[in-house]
Amino acid sequence: MSSRPPNLTFKLVLLGDGRVGKTSLVLRYVNNVFSEKQEATVQAFYLKKHLVIEGVPVTLSIWDTAGQERFHALGPIYYRDADAALLVYDITDNDTFLRVRKWVKELQQMASKDIVMAIAANKSDLVRSKKYDIQEAESYAATIGSKIFVTSAKSGTGVDEVFIDITTHNRYVLLYTTHCFRPHTLWSPVKASLGSLCERVVFTD
Amino acid sequence: MENGGGGGGGGDAFGSSTAPLTWHDFLERMRHPSASDFVKSIKSFITSFSNKAPDPEKDSAAAQEFLANMEGAFRAHTLWAGSSEEELESAGEGLEKYIMTKLFNHVFASVQEDANGDEELFEKMALLQQFVRPENLDVKKAFQNETSWLLAQKELQKINMYKAPRDKLVCILNCCKVINNLLLNASITSNENPPGADEFLPVLIYVTIKANPPQLHSNLLYIQRYRRQSRLVSEAAYFFTNILSAESFIWNIDGQALSMEEAEFQKKMQSARAHLMGLSTGTEGQKPEPSQDTMERGLGLMKASREPDNTASVEGQHAPSQSYVINQDVDGKDKPLANRLSISDLEKKGTADLLKDENISRCFQDYPFLFASAGDLTVDDVESLLNCYKQLVLRYVALSRGLGSNGSLPLPNTQTPSRLQTVKNSAHVVGTEMKNEYGEVRRKTGSSTEDLVLQMDDTGEISS
Repeated sequence: MSSRPPNLTFKLVLLGDGRVGKTSLVLRYVNNVFSEKQEATVQAFYLKKHLVIEGVPVTLSIWDTAGQERFHALGPIYYRDADAALLVYDITDNDTFLRVRKWVKELQQMASKDIVMAIAANKSDLVRSKKYDIQEAESYAATIGSKIFVTSAKSGTGVDEVFIDITTHNRYVLLYTTHCFRPHTLWSPVKASLGSLCERVVFTD
Repeated sequence: MENGGGGGGGGDAFGSSTAPLTWHDFLERMRHPSASDFVKSIKSFITSFSNKAPDPEKDSAAAQEFLANMEGAFRAHTLWAGSSEEELESAGEGLEKYIMTKLFNHVFASVQEDANGDEELFEKMALLQQFVRPENLDVKKAFQNETSWLLAQKELQKINMYKAPRDKLVCILNCCKVINNLLLNASITSNENPPGADEFLPVLIYVTIKANPPQLHSNLLYIQRYRRQSRLVSEAAYFFTNILSAESFIWNIDGQALSMEEAEFQKKMQSARAHLMGLSTGTEGQKPEPSQDTMERGLGLMKASREPDNTASVEGQHAPSQSYVINQDVDGKDKPLANRLSISDLEKKGTADLLKDENISRCFQDYPFLFASAGDLTVDDVESLLNCYKQLVLRYVALSRGLGSNGSLPLPNTQTPSRLQTVKNSAHVVGTEMKNEYGEVRRKTGSSTEDLVLQMDDTGEISS
């Protein structure tokens, strides 16, 4: 069993104001792979995506959350044990960016300290004629140690990139890819001392 | 163990059809002589609870640990030698169901705190369901479908029929699945974007408030504590988290959460309370009840084919909460309610359900002529055949109307099947009689769920 590659499963929550296009973004991302299958009957609230990062198979379970202001206080119920958060805002609507900043602040206080964040400036197709300015957003992202991606669920721009980035920066994926860390091959007392780190590795049968 | 492959744990969680098999398989193996040690430890674990005061945290940890240890022991035992992961998983499910069914009375709502929470939440939802409208929760018009949401409420209301954590969880998942399907259908027919959590959560909250199953709080705690943690993953975890989130929203609901002034919210809560008190003293108590009964029956009939044994008990159990279902918001009646399930959709769904039913012949036993051929009939049969035909037509038309189809017959939808059986007069007479009763209901109580359906009919914007 241990000769098979383990499967890392991560929980990614989508946070973003209502109508910023969270759902379309994730459907765009997941459907690209299953494009030959018609998935019209599949719901978009909870989706799984299998991907391989530098030879390491990873499963993302993507949790959509309701973005309306009235549901804001429910956030922690969803992101408490999340490995990653994708913060989505509408590039044409500055208020939705302010919501992102609010979530980031909360995540820093209440989520796991290892949580990986990335920001998607969505609906970029709407501003093709104008020149959009994401400088402020970019420097903000830098201060919180994450990156910003200009995305369009409509054209597909930047969608794969943001999900791949967020997965690559996961602590466990980093351990695998950069340090060849293989917890399942470890001697069990060492494993025990590493604690929860090893538990995150879930073996497929 | 999270299964990375296609179906995933969540897919299985919805499939209740495998449950009885799992259960029998587990019992069968436990009867095997070599399982005697298992039987002993299971029994001693169960008795260890009998003389202890309930302590949810400790009890839950003990149960989780016991289940995990036993699953490990099953894996190593000859009884399961060469078994697949699925078979081992089944054994774990069987054990969980067995243990928790036995411990249910000890651990479910066993501390005062939980019981208080149940009472408080139940009362809160009983008040809220009188005035909260889908639009208070941001449900877009294209996605509003109150008649069909009743199906989702029904699924949630089954939660108290079961003792095993998995079975209770399946009720929640089925409720979510109904909502999901309705949202998907609505998005397709109205060319809206595919529904996401922005659409799903508000509907789940609304459905939860309207369903108001007794002891919801304790049910959720019970699942959290006693559903084996390794099986509360994936899609099941997602939907369970959503109902926890719905519960949290309901606990903390205020004017702002419903887009109204706090003063207005308090006023509505107060008048809802006054109304409930009125109902419980019996002055108007019987008025909303018959209409509610119709709703129940209308849906009950569809379900009866699927679950002949269960329907009656659900209805009995939930009658008190259901009688509170009242819609006082007059604005609601002008809202177009497109995208409701049409009669033909329901028929398709019913047919699909029937085909899956193992006891299909039982569903038709009240219709003696269904399998008869013309040559079998005698002149004596004409009268009963005609009676059967009349009943069937009346029921169908009443149901069609009850479910919102825009028929042209004067029959109002408040007609119950049993009522039709007793009133053997013409449809016209029945219609007049019921209309009077309906008029009274409306004057006395404002409006009830039944009125709601009538309001929908009145709008004339029904897609059928």
